[in-house]
Amino acid sequence: MIGYILRRLAQLLPVLLLASVGIWAMVYAIPGGPVGMILGENATPEQIAALRAELGLDRPVIVQYWAWLTNALAGDLGVSLHSRQPVVSLIGERLPATIQLGLAATVVGLLIGIPVAVASALMPGSWLDRALSGWSALALGVPTFWLGILLILLFAVHLRWLPSASGYVPFWESPIEMLRNILLPALTLGIYVSGIFARFLRASLVAELRADYVRTARSKGLPERDVVGRHVMRNAMLPFVTIVGLMMANFIGGTVVTEAVFTYPGLGRLLITAISTRDYPLIQGCILVILVIYILINVMVDVLYAYIDPRIEYA
Amino acid sequence: MSARMAEPVLSVRALEVAFMASGRPVPAVRGIDLDVHANEVLGIVGESGSGKSVTSLAISGLLPPTARVRGSIRLGGVEITEADHETLRRMRGVDVGMVFQDPTTTLNPVFTIGRQLTEGQIAHGRLRADAARARAIELLREVDIPDPAGRVIQYPHQFSGGMRQRAVIAMAMAGHPRLIIADEPTTALDVTVQAQVLSLLARRQAETGAAVILITHDLGVIAEMAHRVAVMYGGRIVESGPVEQIFARPRHPYTVALLRSLPRLDGGAARLEPIPGQPPAPSNLPPGCAFHPRCAVARDRARCRTEEPGLRACGPAHLSACHFVEEVPAPSLPRESDGAQPARPAVRRDSEPLLTVENLQVHFPIKAGILRRRIGWLRAVDGVSLTVHEGETVGLVGESGCGKTTTGRAVMGLVRVTGGRIRFGGRDITALGRGAMRQVRRHMQYVFQDPFASLNPIKSAGEIVAEPLRIHGLYDEMGGAGRIARLFEMVGLSPGMMGRFPHEFSGGQKQRIGIARALALEPRLLILDEPVASLDVSIQAQIINLLQDLQRELRLAYLFIAHDLSVVRHISDRVAVMYLGRIVEESEKQALYATPVHPYTQSLLSAVPVPDPTVRGVRRRIVLEGEIPNPASPPPGCAFHPRCFRASARCSAEAPAFLPYPGLPTRAACHHAGPLIPAPGAKHPQEVA
Ligand SMILES: Nc1ncnc2c1ncn2[C@@H]1O[C@H](COP(=O)(O)OP(=O)(O)O)[C@@H](O)[C@H]1O
Ligand code: SF4
Ligand code: SF4
Ligand SMILES: [Mg+2]
Repeated sequence: MIGYILRRLAQLLPVLLLASVGIWAMVYAIPGGPVGMILGENATPEQIAALRAELGLDRPVIVQYWAWLTNALAGDLGVSLHSRQPVVSLIGERLPATIQLGLAATVVGLLIGIPVAVASALMPGSWLDRALSGWSALALGVPTFWLGILLILLFAVHLRWLPSASGYVPFWESPIEMLRNILLPALTLGIYVSGIFARFLRASLVAELRADYVRTARSKGLPERDVVGRHVMRNAMLPFVTIVGLMMANFIGGTVVTEAVFTYPGLGRLLITAISTRDYPLIQGCILVILVIYILINVMVDVLYAYIDPRIEYA
Repeated sequence: MSARMAEPVLSVRALEVAFMASGRPVPAVRGIDLDVHANEVLGIVGESGSGKSVTSLAISGLLPPTARVRGSIRLGGVEITEADHETLRRMRGVDVGMVFQDPTTTLNPVFTIGRQLTEGQIAHGRLRADAARARAIELLREVDIPDPAGRVIQYPHQFSGGMRQRAVIAMAMAGHPRLIIADEPTTALDVTVQAQVLSLLARRQAETGAAVILITHDLGVIAEMAHRVAVMYGGRIVESGPVEQIFARPRHPYTVALLRSLPRLDGGAARLEPIPGQPPAPSNLPPGCAFHPRCAVARDRARCRTEEPGLRACGPAHLSACHFVEEVPAPSLPRESDGAQPARPAVRRDSEPLLTVENLQVHFPIKAGILRRRIGWLRAVDGVSLTVHEGETVGLVGESGCGKTTTGRAVMGLVRVTGGRIRFGGRDITALGRGAMRQVRRHMQYVFQDPFASLNPIKSAGEIVAEPLRIHGLYDEMGGAGRIARLFEMVGLSPGMMGRFPHEFSGGQKQRIGIARALALEPRLLILDEPVASLDVSIQAQIINLLQDLQRELRLAYLFIAHDLSVVRHISDRVAVMYLGRIVEESEKQALYATPVHPYTQSLLSAVPVPDPTVRGVRRRIVLEGEIPNPASPPPGCAFHPRCFRASARCSAEAPAFLPYPGLPTRAACHHAGPLIPAPGAKHPQEVA
């Protein structure tokens, strides 16, 4: 098992390496390059040459990449052009907040999505199924900023139960405060993904319920709750964990709108700001971190998948 | 049988099952009566859609909620049609155990075999969880699974097909039910594995004294296993009686017709007598006797068209539902003498064969890992040689995965050939380019088991048949719509059907369209890959006759790929038997079936169930052990040696050459080739080999 995880990680190293080349090369994709960015359009050739030397841009490409890579591996992603702070600490401030929100939203999505899927799959075509399918469509169709504003209006402005702006409170400092702060953004994102979760899980439950092994399980006299809860659920989970993983990965850096609505200090907004100010070391750092997490989630999904499905060998 | 005196285990009366379809009930089962006693095997036989499975699901209370059930089903003192969910659940696995058709899908892939064997009994509170492992091992041992302690913690995918079906049987028997219902338990299995599973089922039945309902479409399996038989047609039992009676003196025109339409291992070359038309759909049952549109006895009499016949006694314990039982002809099974085949121009073997395959090899890379590295070769075809002459039919038989289809596809140039030569029409076509191969394919065409599975469902039948002409740009040149209409007529379809879409055709009609399409370009060779495997017996005979007629009229050559030895025997001039990528024996049809010399051919032939209950226990049977090995790692030497009853030390070391066998028109790949010699008193030939 441990060996399998390590091997999967090792297999993904080339992907990461390739991606790092791409991320590093982004410097050259910015119009005018970093030098133009820093000095503006009216710089003299001498200034440019001096800065190029200072930034090491006059060295051969390979050497530059190698330097960047070894620094990145040592935890040095450079300094933000804008705030002049180390990129690592900028990201370090936002990352826990983003992970916390992503997890909370996933939990909300599962808490809503799984019961909805099970209830509608057990009675396909019934009024309940239709009502719940309507819910899923609604959850998917409503724009998140709109839902977020609606929640703020209801819970923060009207009922005054929760703050309208959500800060990052680490769970271990104050679980209650953390919940109060994260509830609304987590609901906003969670309701949205619950629609996706419910749809996928319902489809795979309905397909599995038709499978022959279900008839076999019933023919043994298993109670229906075991037939569905064990036999069917376990199989239906296979495609489902992939979707859940995908959504979780999506929450890392992909929740800009919700962060903006709740002024939540997440990675998404940091990245957007970095892009709009062309703060290339920060862009590189954000994307690299998002990519690493993405890969880690993928490995997690694979491991879970192999755990659920004995046909996949840890080899 | 003394058991007959006792109370039946299962008693079904006037059972009716209907499904609601667009607001209207569609009757799937229309009033059947059944009794099954302890120690008895009741065989239910009938074509697809006749209501066999619905009956079995009704008995176990497993019908979907959309089903409407009427009548009475009494099992172990419980009236199933009135029982609530909980009562039904308690009954399942305790009073009735089920074995289903496809062992690849009946087991849950994510749980261990051991868990699936015992979870039912644990749920019933009849087994403690801590005793489950030991019990599961015992159950596996009872069904002859080697190394049960090691196997019990494995998952279904680690079991072969035959072992899975054994496990399913063990599961069905785990609670010592009084009744076992086995619905097509061996249909998905290869014939040598079928023989193993049937003999296991018979043994376990005898050991436990359970009552068994064995549902199958295969009359051979019925003849081999059943004590009593019920024949179903259109949702009813049309005939029932002791197995000997049903086969020796069937008293319903449908039963007689079924037996006559069957190609048999013990039959002659006489033309088959198909049943015209096709089995009725429950939504569209003919009035009166449901069989009347296809019945040879009815002769269009009004009574058959208007009045549904009930079951009447026509002998001791023998019932038939026919108004004119007295007129039902004696079985007079097709034998060598009667109904001779129209003569066919002799095959000329002196000229160069139309198709010559020499030492053909097709190896597929086995890839693994994220980078899809090649970790080995799967030798799907590993040295196949055969020839097909003009106007000749060569049968290629073997069990699943032995390389039959790959051989056919390689000849068509659809897979890359690893080694060997293929000559067609005097030309080497082994490594032709795409364009040149396309020209060659004009003259040889492929017919699939289900030609529509790979075709566009939104194209009309006419367009599908015309497609090869259009691809080759010959549509107008070869006669356009008129040509298509003629092709429809050639395969026995009305040209009026050209505008219809695939889903509007029955299985047999689809296969006719597939054949018409293959004939469109006037080919010289057809490669027919299991063309009748998915068809009902009565329809199968229609297609076989059609193929024979077309061959005669068009001087076609056929490479006929199939797993069914009886069908191959019926249609072929010469037959090649494949095992694990190689041809192990090849001969004239007569010689191969009368005097097989390779142990595998001998086992294969002896494993085929013959629809004649009088040979039960008399006919010699070689039950092969084990199953076909993985072609990725074939056994060394002769690939058959781990299962061969004649194997010697030499066999595991040295691969046998494919050599002529003296005195017979046969070639065989075996160090110890030779006919079976029945020793005096020996029951199994392997005891003398
Ligand atoms: N769940 C169902 N809903 C509607 N029709 C069904 C259902 N199950 C079976 N049928 C129909 O009942 C008829 C008899 O089916 P079945 O008992 O499976 O036939 P057999 O086992 O003899 O091949 C078929 O026409 C089939 O389509
Ligand atoms: S009742 Fe008539 S149609 Fe039906 S089987 Fe008898 S003879 Fe044929
Ligand atoms: S060569 Fe040996 S193992 Fe192979 S079939 Fe002949 S006797 Fe059996
Ligand atoms: Mg069936």
